[in-house]
Amino acid sequence: MRAPDESTIKAGQTLLSVEGVSLSFGGVRAITDVSFDILKGEIRAIIGPNGAGKTSMLNVINGFYHPQEGEITFKGIKRKKMRPHDAATGGIARTFQNVALFKGMTTLDNIMAGRTLRMKKNIFWQLLRFGPAEREEIEHRHKVEEIIDFLEIQHIRRVPVGRLPYGLQKRVELGRALAMEPELLLLDEPMAGMNLEEKEDMCRYVIDVNNHYGTTIALIEHDMGVVMDLANRVVVLDYGQKIADGTPDEVKANQAVIDAYLGVAH
Amino acid sequence: MAQNAVDKTVDTFPKFLLVNAEVRGDRPAIREKDLGIWQTWTWRQVKEEVKALALGLKELGIERGDKVAIIGSNKPRLYWSMCATQSIGGIPVPVYQDAVADEMAFVLTHAGAKIAIVENQEQVDKVLSISDQLPSISHVIYDEPRGLRDYDHTRLKWINEVQDIGREAMASKYSGDAWEKMIAEGKGSDIAVILYTSGTTGKPKGVMLTNDSVVVSSQNANAFDNLTEKEEVIAYLPMAWVGDHIFSYAQSYVAGYTVNCPESPETIIEDRREIGTSYAFAPPRVYENLLTLTMVRMEDAGRVKRAMFQYFLKHAREWGEKILNKEPVPIAARLKYWLGELLVYGPMKNRYGFTNIRVAYTAGEAIGPEIFRYYRSLGINLKQLYGQTEAAVYITAQPDGEIYADTVGKPSPDVEIKIEDNGEVLFRSPGVFAGYYKDPEKTAETKTSDGWVKSGDAGFFDPKTGHLKIIDRAKDVGRLNDGTLFAPKYIENKLKFYPNIKEAVALGDKRDYVTVMLNIDLVSVGSWAERNNVIYGSYQELAAHPRVYQMLSEHVDEVNKSLSEEGPMAGAQIRRFLILHKELDADDGELTRTQKVRRGFIAERYGPLAEGLYNGAQEVDITTELTFEDGRKGNISARVKIEDMNAHAPAAPMDKAA
Repeated sequence: MRAPDESTIKAGQTLLSVEGVSLSFGGVRAITDVSFDILKGEIRAIIGPNGAGKTSMLNVINGFYHPQEGEITFKGIKRKKMRPHDAATGGIARTFQNVALFKGMTTLDNIMAGRTLRMKKNIFWQLLRFGPAEREEIEHRHKVEEIIDFLEIQHIRRVPVGRLPYGLQKRVELGRALAMEPELLLLDEPMAGMNLEEKEDMCRYVIDVNNHYGTTIALIEHDMGVVMDLANRVVVLDYGQKIADGTPDEVKANQAVIDAYLGVAH
Repeated sequence: MAQNAVDKTVDTFPKFLLVNAEVRGDRPAIREKDLGIWQTWTWRQVKEEVKALALGLKELGIERGDKVAIIGSNKPRLYWSMCATQSIGGIPVPVYQDAVADEMAFVLTHAGAKIAIVENQEQVDKVLSISDQLPSISHVIYDEPRGLRDYDHTRLKWINEVQDIGREAMASKYSGDAWEKMIAEGKGSDIAVILYTSGTTGKPKGVMLTNDSVVVSSQNANAFDNLTEKEEVIAYLPMAWVGDHIFSYAQSYVAGYTVNCPESPETIIEDRREIGTSYAFAPPRVYENLLTLTMVRMEDAGRVKRAMFQYFLKHAREWGEKILNKEPVPIAARLKYWLGELLVYGPMKNRYGFTNIRVAYTAGEAIGPEIFRYYRSLGINLKQLYGQTEAAVYITAQPDGEIYADTVGKPSPDVEIKIEDNGEVLFRSPGVFAGYYKDPEKTAETKTSDGWVKSGDAGFFDPKTGHLKIIDRAKDVGRLNDGTLFAPKYIENKLKFYPNIKEAVALGDKRDYVTVMLNIDLVSVGSWAERNNVIYGSYQELAAHPRVYQMLSEHVDEVNKSLSEEGPMAGAQIRRFLILHKELDADDGELTRTQKVRRGFIAERYGPLAEGLYNGAQEVDITTELTFEDGRKGNISARVKIEDMNAHAPAAPMDKAA
């Protein structure tokens, strides 16, 4: 399946919209009738207390879960069911809450793996490593090296990622997602478990990715401070329902959000 | 020497660039590792790049005598900026890139820089944050555009744009050799560069060096070690430091050799390995770290490897230096050394990037004799030199074959040295500085009317070898209350030769006895802790661990023992010590930018600790403020334990020369 022409959607237009999505596992409702949209070029945050359905929402967006109700429109194409593979070829990349890298492989190979979808030559050509296949590999390697440079991880290029500290692993994971040259990048708690310095670094990279590559970013985050600094717009979920949607300042002032985060006296 | 006849007219670095582009146009001048691949510029290409940049700077308003600040890590474009500025008569002022905003503001204002050429967003942010204090700066030019797209570009320019401006001007405004004519106007007596010394005391001073002095220094140094256009060096030390300016810029332009810029500060060891440098310069710290890393890794290596390493290292210790010094060595020892080279020394040198090394220098601080001998025994021609910014580096250096761990060598070519009564070393040479910028008073204090420069270091000539020995800063040599000579650095260096001790600060001047504050080395002590099941959560916790105290007290005791055997130093044994709860850091002003301890400042900052060392307290509480890299401040509090030590009885005075 070929991705539709990217130039059709301009900055500021709707890249992805979620309409009336509900998701349940057996009898448990994870998401109830949630609608929101993501504009091209923005940083959109999805926040909420534990168990609010944030990760489920992300899984719905990239086709990992199939909602029972509602529709998702990505780049103008409506679909109810989408496989993760379609999402990937369509230009959606993601990172995971718990780092999901190939621990035994080097940083370079991990990021190179992110290029798989963009490789055109079949396995026989690649095994021969000759002519067109070689040229293609050089091209991909160039792209990967740009990402390594961008994320400043040159010094761990040949280090197996299993040996890296957590903060760096997260950065490598971001690198692998970037290697797909996604249009929409989903980040699941990119700063979880990091210390202040690592968080600040990560924030800078997220802003830089958005600024430099023009990638649209949807991120889930726990740390309110981080979200308020980073995001253009914020969706707040609580018990699977949308309770607020707007700029960080609007959301911060919203009583429902304050209640959800701080609890209400009963 | 025949070359010298030609060199007479070549008295500035832009002129050397023209010569190099002519004589060795296709040889590599500079390389940079970019996207994992080494990119090379030949001398001819560098000339074109510098030309475009120079004319671009001229279009932006740089006139003769204007200052251009250069801030960043070692990048080709920043080195070109240096030459471009010089070619149109400007004066480059490299600034330490890790300086915090306040320090940077001082240097930029004092120098009155008109343009700042910086490496990346981080430096742009820093300069912009202090821009209201810098009315003289008209433009900020950056090398790495990432993250700067949305900045206000009225005063901000990408370096490539500046070069485009230069190329346009070249086509529209200037005749074919206009730039070459501008270069021809430059004279040897012009100021080539202003280097701000990090200053162990007070504000930084701007050392003005003329083209003549830098050129002479470089020519002499190249001749001293027979350096040719075939050398490969790696540029990784701060560009604002005179050492880097001479090694990676001046000597390269004069000899025509290749300078390699690493990919990032973290990849230097790997990059050096790929390049295989033939000429190297590093402060002792770098060699220390490399050795510590080696020893730590060997501890973790397999049994066979470790046994092989130790076996051949022992052999190298016995014979390696003799072979390097070309002394007679039995054939059996030679054969075994050759086998060792194949199995151990060769691969180790490869790891260090020293396979092709011809000459390696260390300077700036004393190097541990063990460390020094280790590298020499592997066949690396590591030598010591003594230099200062005011001398365009070279004052003394060790000639090949005359290497001693505790001397800094003989006077370099054209350098005269005399020792004052108070032990201070004075020098005079064609390489000495023209003066401190905008500070004639300090200049007069340091430089006499007949050209002698006070080094501020105390030292003496070793009668046996004829080499100079430096013991301490002249003003730091003090006395205990009972009149015993107290040379703090001498004691500190003895302590720092233990891999577990990263930094030491000795107190004792006008006190009853000597005490020290220690910093543990996290790599070395951390690895020890891991092997010995010592559990710790933070630097602070590890530093305060009783077993760490016990280990360091053994080290201090050994130092006391060695001091007790050194006649006049016997009275200066360490009676009490403590381990600091935080690492000394240049950002907090505790170290200089070249990582030397600022003793007075530390004694003041840790006042309660210093007091505790002398009032018999066993534990002292302290809260210290610390500064993060972005300038924010935080607090750290701790309870620090103080350990008492016993002095050794002074040994009978030994009949020891020097």
